[in-house]
Amino acid sequence: MTLRAKLSRLQAFKEGRGQQPVASTTDLQQRLARINRTRLPGESKQQQKSAEARLARQLKGYPVSEGLLRIYRRIPLHGSMGRYPLSLLQQQPRLPGESGLADRRHVYFDTETTGLSGGSGTLAFLFGFATVEQECLQLTQFLITRFAGEAAMLEAIDKVLSVEDRLVSYNGKRYDLPLMKTRYRMCNRPTLLDQLPHLDLLHPTRRLFRSAWPDCRLMTLEQRLLGLERQNDMPGSAAPQAWFDFIKTGATARLARVVEHNTQDILSLAMAHVALTHAIEQPQHHGADIAALARWQADHDPGAAYALLKRYQQTLPMSGKRLLGRLARGFSDWELALEVWEGLAQKGCQSATEQLAKYHEHISRDLKRAKHYCEQLPIDDDQQRRMKRIACKLYGEEIQPSLHP
Amino acid sequence: MSIPAPSMTSPSPDQGKDPADHLAAKLRSDYPQRITGELILPAKPGSYRPLPEDLDPRLAEALGKRGIHRLYTHQAAAWASLQAHRHTVVVTPTASGKTLCYNLPVLQAALQNQAKALYLFPTKALAQDQVAELTALNRAAELGVRAFTFDGDTPGDARKAVRSRGDIVVSNPDMLHQGILPHHTKWAQFFEALRYVVIDEMHSYRGVFGSHVANVMRRLRRICHFYGTDPVFILCSATIANPAELGAQLIGDEVNAITESGAPQGSKHLLLWNPPVVNPDLGIRASARSQTTRITKLALHQGLKSIVFARSRLMVEVLTKYLKDAFDKDPRHPARVAAYRGGYLPTERRDMERRLRDGKLDCVVSTSALELGVDIGALDLCVLNGYPGTIAATWQRLGRAGRRQRTAVGVLVASSLPLDQYIIRNPDFFLGASPEQARIDADQLLILLDHVRCAAFELPFKDGEQFGNQPLNEMLAYLEEHDILHPEGDEWHWMSDSYPANSVSLRSVAEGNFVVVDTSGGDKTVIAEVDYSAAPMTIYEGAIYMIQSTPYQVERLDWEGRKAFVTRTRADYYTDAIDYTRLKILEPFEEHTHDRHGVAQGEVHLVRRTTGYKKIRYYSHDNVGYGKIELPDQEMHTSAVWWQVNPQALEAAFDSRQIALDGFLGASYALHIIATMRMLSEPGDIGKAVGDGNARWFATVHASGRGELRNQDDEMIDPARLDRFTPTLFLYDNYPGGIGLSAPLCESREAIVREALRLVTDCNCSHGCPSCIGPILASDEVRGYSPKQAALEVLSLLGPGHSAAIGSPRPDHDT
Repeated sequence: MTLRAKLSRLQAFKEGRGQQPVASTTDLQQRLARINRTRLPGESKQQQKSAEARLARQLKGYPVSEGLLRIYRRIPLHGSMGRYPLSLLQQQPRLPGESGLADRRHVYFDTETTGLSGGSGTLAFLFGFATVEQECLQLTQFLITRFAGEAAMLEAIDKVLSVEDRLVSYNGKRYDLPLMKTRYRMCNRPTLLDQLPHLDLLHPTRRLFRSAWPDCRLMTLEQRLLGLERQNDMPGSAAPQAWFDFIKTGATARLARVVEHNTQDILSLAMAHVALTHAIEQPQHHGADIAALARWQADHDPGAAYALLKRYQQTLPMSGKRLLGRLARGFSDWELALEVWEGLAQKGCQSATEQLAKYHEHISRDLKRAKHYCEQLPIDDDQQRRMKRIACKLYGEEIQPSLHP
Repeated sequence: MSIPAPSMTSPSPDQGKDPADHLAAKLRSDYPQRITGELILPAKPGSYRPLPEDLDPRLAEALGKRGIHRLYTHQAAAWASLQAHRHTVVVTPTASGKTLCYNLPVLQAALQNQAKALYLFPTKALAQDQVAELTALNRAAELGVRAFTFDGDTPGDARKAVRSRGDIVVSNPDMLHQGILPHHTKWAQFFEALRYVVIDEMHSYRGVFGSHVANVMRRLRRICHFYGTDPVFILCSATIANPAELGAQLIGDEVNAITESGAPQGSKHLLLWNPPVVNPDLGIRASARSQTTRITKLALHQGLKSIVFARSRLMVEVLTKYLKDAFDKDPRHPARVAAYRGGYLPTERRDMERRLRDGKLDCVVSTSALELGVDIGALDLCVLNGYPGTIAATWQRLGRAGRRQRTAVGVLVASSLPLDQYIIRNPDFFLGASPEQARIDADQLLILLDHVRCAAFELPFKDGEQFGNQPLNEMLAYLEEHDILHPEGDEWHWMSDSYPANSVSLRSVAEGNFVVVDTSGGDKTVIAEVDYSAAPMTIYEGAIYMIQSTPYQVERLDWEGRKAFVTRTRADYYTDAIDYTRLKILEPFEEHTHDRHGVAQGEVHLVRRTTGYKKIRYYSHDNVGYGKIELPDQEMHTSAVWWQVNPQALEAAFDSRQIALDGFLGASYALHIIATMRMLSEPGDIGKAVGDGNARWFATVHASGRGELRNQDDEMIDPARLDRFTPTLFLYDNYPGGIGLSAPLCESREAIVREALRLVTDCNCSHGCPSCIGPILASDEVRGYSPKQAALEVLSLLGPGHSAAIGSPRPDHDT
């Protein structure tokens, strides 16, 4: 028995398919014959070449080197995408807290890979990216058409990037970039991707919309923020099989749709950047989480956060009100701070009660009130110390007249 | 354990004040007829060498602060061997300071060259012990060497720190296989500086597990090669016969073995104990369980700390219950007795280990789970309830009791199982024999194929590359045929949307553990895990499943979902499953035809079915009922050796087919005993069965004690009414695909039959007993023929005769 026949039989048993213990020899021979046929070297090489040529024609790409296609498109910035005119891309979008970074050239990128499980056996067969230049969105996609094309792709990517760039992605920090780094490591070459600053739009999207949306996938963002509904899109999960099929059989149709899907993702990514800046300007209009936005802004621009919270004071959740109280204290707006804390304290917010106790002890020096609030706090060392101090002060106040008659 | 000198000391009543000596003396004087053998290993002084001259002064300082100013000879030998860049295996007893053998060179390399090391332990618990020890040494002189564990419990955010900052990463083979190698690029820095790989408890990597681990090592070395490193391996092992060979097979390279321990040892006193005969006619002895409880109770009353090893989880629970009934009656006092076995949740096990170390427990009852070097402090007595199956495991377990200054006592209590009886009645054999060879078969096809897949995922294979000793290109082509790999140029690329390591488990072939869910309080709480292979025998519906001797009844088994739902019960019985095996011959690899019989070796298809269970009442051990079990059949394709007698010879030798059948069953029993001994394997590694070779019928021993035939539908057949009657006796390799036991079995077929014949002939029983042809019942006396005689008849038919070509004893495939 050949090793392969033996393997088939053992494997069948292992997987519980052992109904037919002896593999039928004719069946095996047929299968072997089929493999041998597809592996005739000359013929298969020719087939591969012609499939690559077909794919290049279909995608309007051109071969950069053996096994690597480059697809390039210039998309003029007129017309619109969902709710937003493309022309908005001409101004560099800027998110809260971005100083010099937002002035760099933004490289919007997305990959399609041979699997979602990660690990060194997974590779990116398609790397697409877009930049805004000369009033156009310039979209480049590198597509490898056989394994040998990967090294050239990695080299090409590094060539088009500059140290002045900034990467922008959607979930790229956790997924695309580590995978690309793995590929560079496997091919034993360093990469600029490692060194560039990287903005992952998934994170601000999560901050603003986690509470409002069922999930924060790019598709959801398109529907809810961009007002875009994809037609006839091929799900990204079908990408691995589409590429495998092309490699094995030369089938181009599904792979072409994967390239289209990637194009759409990159366009949405760029527009999402614009739309997020709008959502930050008009959070309520877009259903963004005001409190979360204010928390984000507070780190860089407390004034803006304060103004934002004041504007939406009535609709804020507890967490937003707590932040408002804290900012009001920071800006010494005691009147507003008191109003907020009292409201919160009534709803049983402990930190507000504590703030009130502090305020009345140190600022308004209304010790009776301070005592009143302090009594409502749970008993612990801090609370006990505070109670004692207030009691001392109260005693001092009481005996003061007798000291200075 | 070190191997004892094969000399037996005559019982000398050394009535010392030592409490353990006292216990041994009492056992000897009270039960002289039960002790069949005795061995006293005298205390041994240590032998030392000065610290090596090339040892880094910072390390010498750290050692000094820990009170170490010289090394044991084996530590010094390991140092020299490793400084010469030789792969090294150190084989010394528990508590002989073997960790220093690897910690010293590793720390030296970390201090002087920023070199990294990978430590592999078979369990997470051992890994944690190790990091604690390294941290202590490190702190002693502020060496600044960082050691981290990396296993399934390491939180996601800590993993990056471990990868980039760990000088020593302590992990296990499973994690290396599933978590590290498939993500090797993330570990690039680590691999680029990897100098040492430490494999502790090497002896536990044998059989299937070891075969997997050997392949993980092939993958590890392949990845290291990719990063331009070639680490030196340091292996540590308990005593086995072939440490250098096993080490070499595991790492695929020559290994230098250091086997002389220089550590001092307290004296050890070992007793071989056979329970008294209670029914001489049937050869029935008192149970090992009763003897184990008696000895342990005596020790506990004398204030000795004890460990009891039982062979099954069930027996652990039963023994714990009996001991708790005696010592933990008062719930207001903390428990003195505890059970320890696989299947408990990790936190429970850690807690128990701590209580043992702190001396809060007086007795622990354990399966082999505590055989490894988990630190459980010093114990005085070790009782083995039944022979553990191998000489190595016996010494390993006995080694858990032992103190530097005082005597430790070990008692091996034999059960009625034939292997136990053989050992206990031939004490010279046991006391004088060297421990077993640990066997692995790294080129077992299924295992190798699994790892070829994993390796192909990690790095594309290049034409002409070597991986294992099977034609790699054929395996790659097979994987291509299954759309997993794609050949391009001279490379084979991974082409599948999957992560192969996740579907390969190193510990057993069948994936998917069962969880045991307690639904008693209305909640659903996971209280234990059960291996896939153990599930049909332990958690069928109706089974009593015990945890810390609390009985739970299995209400429902969700086979697909791998869950067993149980509730607390007050049952006064436990359950024991009944199963049988059916085999079909697929293809003989070699055949030997003689005039009266034939022997062949080849591939078989095996179906195992669990049919029912017995309910057995506590203490009385009465059988109080049966239940049916309906579970899917377990199928397996493996290799076997089989014997057949040609029909004419069979007809001539026996008056009836029934007698012949009983003879075959008895002979299979005896052959199985001898085969297990000769192969020095674990008892479960070889299976036995009697059938027709075509899976049309198979034979079992009915409750009446007589053999009976059943067909595929489990219906009884009368052997007299069969057209052809070709009973076939199988000894099979009990692992899918076979782990390489059947070929050596076939080679020694004549010796096996000869020794089985002697075993049965020499047995003192009249008609058969558990020590020769299996238990027979009182009613067998009136069978009209002796089952023992029938077995002898079959064995002599299978014995060597003159080669001749009288008919083929092969089964008929086509009719």
